[in-house]
Amino acid sequence: MILQYATPVALAATGETIGQKSGVIYIGLEGSMLAGAFFAMLAAQSTGSPWIGLVAGITAGLLLALLFGWFTIRRGIDQVVVGTAINLLALGVTGTIYRTQFGKSGTLLSVAKLPPVFGKIDAVEILLLLSAIGLTWVLQKSSLGLALRATGEYPKAAEAAGFSVARLRFIGVACSGIFAGLAGAYLSLGISGSFAENMTAGRGFVAIAMVTFGRWKPMWVLAAALLIGFAESLQFTLQAAGVQAPYQLLIALPYLVALTVLVVVGRGTVAPAALAEPYVKGD
Amino acid sequence: MNGFLRFGLLLAGLIVVLLLTLAAFQLPIVDSVKLIFDGAFSDKFAWSRSAVKMTPLLLTGLGMVIAWRAGVYNIGGEGQFVLGAIFGAAVGKGLIGANAAAMPGGSLLILVVCAIGGALWAWIAGWLYVRRGVEVVISTILLNFIAIQLLGFAVSGPLQEQKGQVPQTDLLPESLMLARFDRQTDVHLGTVLALVMAVVLTTFLYRTVAGYRLRLVGDNPKVARVNYIDPGRVQLSAMALSGAMCGLAGGVEYLGLVGQLGTTFPQQWGFLGIPVALLGGLNPMLTAGAAFFFGALFAGTENLARFTPAGTTIVYVIQATAVLAYVGLSGLKKARPKPEEETESTPS
Amino acid sequence: MTAKSGLHVENIVKRFGSLTALDNVSASFRPGEIHAVLGENGAGKSTLMGILSGFVVPDSGTVMLNGNPVPVGRPFDCKRLGIEMIHQHFTLVSEFTIAENFALSRLPGLLSSSEVSARAEPSLAAATRLGWELEPGRRVSSLSVGAQQRIEILKALGGDAQVIIFDEPTAVLSPDEVEDLFRVLRQLKTDGHVVILIAHKLSEVLSIADHVTVLRRGRWIASAPIAQVDERKLAEWMVGELPPPLAQRKGTELVPGLVGQDLTVLGDRGEAAIKNCCFEIKRGEILGIGGVDGNGQLELAEALVAVRPVSGELSFAGKTVNAEEMRISYVPQDRQHDGLAMGMTIEENLLITGHRKPMLRKGPFLNFRALHQWANELVKRFSVKANSPADRVAGLSGGNQQKVVVSRALDEQPDLLVVVNPTRGLDIRATEYVHSKIQEARDAGAAVALFSTDLDEIYALADRVMFLSRGELIADTGAESLFGAKT
Repeated sequence: MILQYATPVALAATGETIGQKSGVIYIGLEGSMLAGAFFAMLAAQSTGSPWIGLVAGITAGLLLALLFGWFTIRRGIDQVVVGTAINLLALGVTGTIYRTQFGKSGTLLSVAKLPPVFGKIDAVEILLLLSAIGLTWVLQKSSLGLALRATGEYPKAAEAAGFSVARLRFIGVACSGIFAGLAGAYLSLGISGSFAENMTAGRGFVAIAMVTFGRWKPMWVLAAALLIGFAESLQFTLQAAGVQAPYQLLIALPYLVALTVLVVVGRGTVAPAALAEPYVKGD
Repeated sequence: MNGFLRFGLLLAGLIVVLLLTLAAFQLPIVDSVKLIFDGAFSDKFAWSRSAVKMTPLLLTGLGMVIAWRAGVYNIGGEGQFVLGAIFGAAVGKGLIGANAAAMPGGSLLILVVCAIGGALWAWIAGWLYVRRGVEVVISTILLNFIAIQLLGFAVSGPLQEQKGQVPQTDLLPESLMLARFDRQTDVHLGTVLALVMAVVLTTFLYRTVAGYRLRLVGDNPKVARVNYIDPGRVQLSAMALSGAMCGLAGGVEYLGLVGQLGTTFPQQWGFLGIPVALLGGLNPMLTAGAAFFFGALFAGTENLARFTPAGTTIVYVIQATAVLAYVGLSGLKKARPKPEEETESTPS
Repeated sequence: MTAKSGLHVENIVKRFGSLTALDNVSASFRPGEIHAVLGENGAGKSTLMGILSGFVVPDSGTVMLNGNPVPVGRPFDCKRLGIEMIHQHFTLVSEFTIAENFALSRLPGLLSSSEVSARAEPSLAAATRLGWELEPGRRVSSLSVGAQQRIEILKALGGDAQVIIFDEPTAVLSPDEVEDLFRVLRQLKTDGHVVILIAHKLSEVLSIADHVTVLRRGRWIASAPIAQVDERKLAEWMVGELPPPLAQRKGTELVPGLVGQDLTVLGDRGEAAIKNCCFEIKRGEILGIGGVDGNGQLELAEALVAVRPVSGELSFAGKTVNAEEMRISYVPQDRQHDGLAMGMTIEENLLITGHRKPMLRKGPFLNFRALHQWANELVKRFSVKANSPADRVAGLSGGNQQKVVVSRALDEQPDLLVVVNPTRGLDIRATEYVHSKIQEARDAGAAVALFSTDLDEIYALADRVMFLSRGELIADTGAESLFGAKT
């Protein structure tokens, strides 16, 4: 239950961690997730295979991220501006296609869901755990990770070591996009088995917040996302049990803690130093 | 380039994007344009719907103009919008409880408190940016969530209706609502207020010393610093003003249109102000033009939605495409100014 | 060793627009030799080094390493051939450990395990060879500037560097650290490396180099073994005929002005950019402050105009320096970063100082009628070439941009005037005009601090001259002081 609530946010947050480590804050995460959810549903519905759906969702998330990358990395346009536009684009495109194809009231679509693998656990949940461990390894122990981190901290150093900052950042943002697409696909195929307009409902932003809360470490980020999942599921448990509790404050708690950490330690040294800064070669 | 020409170019560009978008979704262009036009301008009801949609877009758009012009990329308009409304609702409840709802100036009081609420919320993000170096993007995302959860808490807790059934506040009495011009339509005083604010902000930015300083800091904080203007202080005030404008937007929506707060109160106006301000070139009067265009487009596509499956979501596509085209063509490449170093921090 | 071994540049020409940065320059750098390239700012040293390390593509000419052409304009290929450059601004990731920084520059590609300790090994071995003790797990941000330079050098030695280029390596070091660096340079020479030292300090060149090449204004002037030159000779090569020492102006009746006692100013990285400086500038006096860029000019200038914190005593006519009670005018060094708001109009840029003038304000508002008149007049007076003050400043030429900055600083009679390279980029007529305005301000009673890297400018204007060298102000003692020789 907790895992199911947490998985989409955790997946997106894990990918975003890699992106931010390379110095790109992918504000369009929400858009990639939504596009992932929609196109996964669309593909699964027309082919009958949730697996093809997953691939379609990942592709959609990736393409939006690459579009973002073209504007921000190649052309150096501000990441906030482009990210905001990407989110709107995804919201508009998925909403419009959905309505024109399936009618405005949204006849309840249902598509084949992902089958569980062990007990109630499905393949994506297993993949999540593996990727958090895997990405930790990549960041800490691989050449790619070292170069990515250098790009996020001090792009000039990566450039001097013979790497293309643009390419590394494209890898970072692609990683954000792929995981966000998968997260969205999981939302429609793994959890609800259907699609609704704006079904991500801010989860992409939650994921960005969780990267901060998890102090840019994949395992911590995973733990932070699980905490969010726990808070959300607790809300339903409490409601079902008839307990009157200000559960909204409970849900807000992780964000409050993250904010308090920022107030106390500030940006600190954990945040990549060149986060959200465009890099101009030879400048 | 003079304002007239820029406005014309903006409008022409937006209409081209609209036509392209309709074509991309294989909608019948002529019929759709007619439906949209009718929905926005055919009669006084249509005009009123356009104006009502324009109002929050314009106010939040102006809020973005203030902060972004100072070089602080506030994306927390949504949270500031919501928090302003919560503050206002608290005063509203207080006034009703004290049987002072009919007191003259009651709605003005609520609006002022809304602006204060929004300003406080934005000030937190501004403080974190200026004094702690925390990206505004990150802090405002957190603050948006907290604000929305606070709203949920407020309307099912301290500010909940007397009956205690639905998570919403009590409907405000007519005396506290903003005046309407015509009983049949929804256009309220808030629309005029928003337009006045656009003029006020233009005057502030281009005619006053403080506005000049704000623009200077946004353009080059280093130059400001070597000329005895503290960029951090200016940016902090800009954030507070920006939040005040968004809080005011929340208040106007509350007092002008809905009259009560519920969990569906946030309608993304805080986010939608960003593309509006960007397409207005961060200029208040052009932002008013952009807000009117998108307000009308929202009203028009609502009409489109009644006859075709497509609907208001088209507006998002148009906004997104227009922003991307705008920044892509104009190459808005200016790097974000970094917050100035804290003077008291001891160097390593 | 053949005649071909080592690094050879032949007939290099490089132009930037109308400026010829290098005009037919040739030189040979041999293994087992420390070769200093000497010159003033703008002499073409950096351009030459940029070409050697592949960052700059020459218009014509060749670069050969051991008889093979070096791929110009491709820095990584140059690096792979064994040409390493130690920049003044280090390319270290300060949040990484020492070992991670070493490993980063030795990664074969992206798809492998990073093996930090293995890849750091060659650099650590080099450290042992050079007698430097390191903790590989320590973060670079916790190291002093001198220690960071060592990491930068060791990073280069981790590969098989044949040529190592040092760009002004002593600028950031303490005397002890300089000694140690020289020891290492000699060691590298003995190991058979080509060592190239870009420098401007004569004493350092004389004490460490085996061979010296002097550039002046983009031209090759001379090349000689160190045994054949002395300080005076080198100085002459660098600047041409030396100007005669200044006759002190009779200054007995001068009114007390700016006094600095034991001033220490921190730079942006927290280093002491200005150390224990003492000086006095009376009203009606121009103090020329010479020296090569990057010796603390920016920091001292900003401290004088009270926008950078300073420790020690700084006072003007017995009171603290502050912009409220006295009129301070400042012409910063870097006009694009510190002087102009590039997104604004000429008028708005004049307003940067003008918005404080009561006559241009009406309460909280700007008085536009007065403003337009004032701006028009300034633009005319300083002959800024523009259609109207409403033009964007970004569209002006560099010289006209400088006029905007200078005009607003000299618009009114200041008490204290601080100018840094005020005529950079101006034509002769504009230069003369600016000079006359500076003198006018002086004659009207301003205390003037004139920072300039242009000796002609300093000697033409200043009443007294001092030099900034490594953050210290030293007296004008002839040729040596020009280049910060003896301490």
